[in-house]
Amino acid sequence: MTSNARPGASRRAVLKGGLMGAAALAGGAAASRAAASESVITEIQDWNRYPGDGVDARPYGTPSPFEAHVVRKNVPWLTSDTISSINFTPLHELDGIITPSGLCFERHHSGVAEIDPASHRLMIHGLVEKPLVFTMADLKRFPRENRVYFLECAANTGMEWRGAQLNGCQFTHGMLHCLMYTGVRLKHLLDQAGVKTEGKWLLAEGADASGMSRSIPLDKAMDDCLVAFGMNGEALRPEQGYPIRLVVPGWEGNMWVKWLRRLEIGDQPWQHREETSKYTDLMANGKARRFTFEMDVKSVITNPSPQAPILHGRGPLVLSGLAWSGKGRISRVDVTTDGGRNWTTARLDGPSLPKALHRFYHEFDWDGSELFLQSRAIDEHGFVQPTKDQLRSVRGANSIYHNNGIQTWHVNSDGVIENVEIS
Amino acid sequence: MWKSPKSILLAGTVIAGVIGGAQAQDIAAGETVFAKCKACHMVGEDAKNRVGPVLNGIVGRAVGSVEGFKYSPAMTRAGADGLVWDEASLASYLHDPKGYLKGNKMAFAGLKKDEDVVNVIAYLASLDADGKAAVPGKQSAAPAIDATQTATAEVAAPSAGTTGRLLGLGRTATPEEIAAWDTDVRPDGVGLPEGSGTVAHGMEIYDERCATCHGDFGEAVGRWPVLAGGQGTLQAERPEKTIGSYWPYLSTVFDYVHRAMPFGDARSLGNDDVYALTAYLLYLNDIVDDEEFELSKDNFTSIRLPNEENFFDDDREQEPFYADRSEPCMTDCKPGAAAITMHAAVLDVTPEDGGEENASGGGID
Repeated sequence: MTSNARPGASRRAVLKGGLMGAAALAGGAAASRAAASESVITEIQDWNRYPGDGVDARPYGTPSPFEAHVVRKNVPWLTSDTISSINFTPLHELDGIITPSGLCFERHHSGVAEIDPASHRLMIHGLVEKPLVFTMADLKRFPRENRVYFLECAANTGMEWRGAQLNGCQFTHGMLHCLMYTGVRLKHLLDQAGVKTEGKWLLAEGADASGMSRSIPLDKAMDDCLVAFGMNGEALRPEQGYPIRLVVPGWEGNMWVKWLRRLEIGDQPWQHREETSKYTDLMANGKARRFTFEMDVKSVITNPSPQAPILHGRGPLVLSGLAWSGKGRISRVDVTTDGGRNWTTARLDGPSLPKALHRFYHEFDWDGSELFLQSRAIDEHGFVQPTKDQLRSVRGANSIYHNNGIQTWHVNSDGVIENVEIS
Repeated sequence: MWKSPKSILLAGTVIAGVIGGAQAQDIAAGETVFAKCKACHMVGEDAKNRVGPVLNGIVGRAVGSVEGFKYSPAMTRAGADGLVWDEASLASYLHDPKGYLKGNKMAFAGLKKDEDVVNVIAYLASLDADGKAAVPGKQSAAPAIDATQTATAEVAAPSAGTTGRLLGLGRTATPEEIAAWDTDVRPDGVGLPEGSGTVAHGMEIYDERCATCHGDFGEAVGRWPVLAGGQGTLQAERPEKTIGSYWPYLSTVFDYVHRAMPFGDARSLGNDDVYALTAYLLYLNDIVDDEEFELSKDNFTSIRLPNEENFFDDDREQEPFYADRSEPCMTDCKPGAAAITMHAAVLDVTPEDGGEENASGGGID
């Protein structure tokens, strides 16, 4: 049996009791600090007395059983089948800017390909001097780079175009993660093959059963794209494209082709399914934008939020969230508690890296009154996160993709939170 | 004599500089230093002996061994004694030409800076015996390193390992291998294989392999993609984006069916079958109306889909709010108190809330 089963139940009950007791105390008007003695202190607990697991119990570590609720979640009605579907990163349970590997949202079009790296090949061909095939061993002999980038699906927040729909930032904003990638510059690989001068576009194709394919402008491919084999210091997870995926910094997640097996150079885009019937933005007039690659400046308050209500009552509150821009660094995040009447600049904490998530905090004393929480990000180029109404005024409500509008959370006097739209 | 104790010591300090990484070798900087040598020495594919010998491939070459150059007796003798121009001997020589090899005829006084010595040797080492770049990429000066995430001052200067030089890794892809993977098709017909298929044949394949998900007439079962109909709905509250109503190019249908369909058994259809299915999808979308219509490589590009003209390239930067990069309002930005205009809880479509019937759809598939 795993360690989950043995001590879990009883310890959980004790811990929950303890937490609720603490919450009740704090909620009680912050007045009396002279509390009754707590049994977790006055009584010897199991873990104070009996040894726990040895070093062989968990050769690959997993989170505490008390964190079992921190998982990716699917929204079943969105798609027909989990094999061609998406799940969502639990943003409200995370902090900092790095997403744990096992919590990064998944989007597959034909399930997770399980590929033996010994059987994986990367081919470069088309308008090149010399078509090449690389093994994984070949790729690991190129100079490596480590880069932290966010990946956001262009459809993130897409279910909110017509109005507030999903109650939780996991579902409204969870097609998002941020990792440290280890890989080689795509440019270095292309240089080995020698791109001909007439080459202007790159087709990237995956080895999975969907054969995911996207056209990428050669300028981007030669700029900051990586062929990555590592995430957060270890090999890519299968669901993130093991053994290799394309990293297209700042651009929509669909272009970051997983299980990457083929790169073809051409003189024009291929107009494949994912860049015509999908990932094109339908406007109110019936026309559609295409090649909307870059992800716009955006932010969301992750705590408190509908899945993470305020349980501690009045007094000191830590508001926290994420901000990002496909154009570079975030220079500032403003937050409001009155629905955008008055704004305060939040505190950015942690690394500020281009095209990576930024973590912001705003600490204040909650007086128990109703709040309308919003955040507004500004990137280093001065682009300001728009309101959803601004987006709809130009694009209508059928765009699906690239919804970077300001999110509103309504907090009632009990600390319960709801996704709303406001006047 | 060419090995005085003094010169060995000197060589030692220079080598220590190289190995210790105190001075990273910089081929581009070495090329600049080499300007001092150019008055007498040539390098490159057309190099000839001038006042001094050609220096192509000098690193690793025996001293005094360039054909046709008239060396000093001292230099000839050193070569005969077995001296080879390696990084150590070159470093000592370039530091103090007269002191290192007495009696040689090079008039140059020597390079004073250790880094110049190291860099010019790196430059010479980058050229092979024919004067070509033995380490290709070296001519493009500094390596193209992304400064964006290495911008912090502590990050080390890029080493030679991060340049885009040609490493000779990988092998040539065979035509058979390329053909096996390169099935992509473009709107201009590039990539279309030989073959053909009729609407009638496509219907047979469709009924057997596609209709369970996509419906008998392309109307779809459940949330599987709708393939036909929807024309005239792109401005409606619920647009129906199908091949006939939305997709700009027929080549996309062929390419996608060939690479990814049928779902669960991808890449199992032959070229003629894919032509036939594509023809049938045209029929379901009322773009052809003859069951005997045959689609082939030859007539493929003559067929245009109705919505092709309604796509335009990204112009987000033209949007007024998008282009407005002014400082946003911080105080008293809106009149009155905020009032809720829409609740997510009313729709009740969040998975944990149980209700999913009212979802307005996400369209992420």
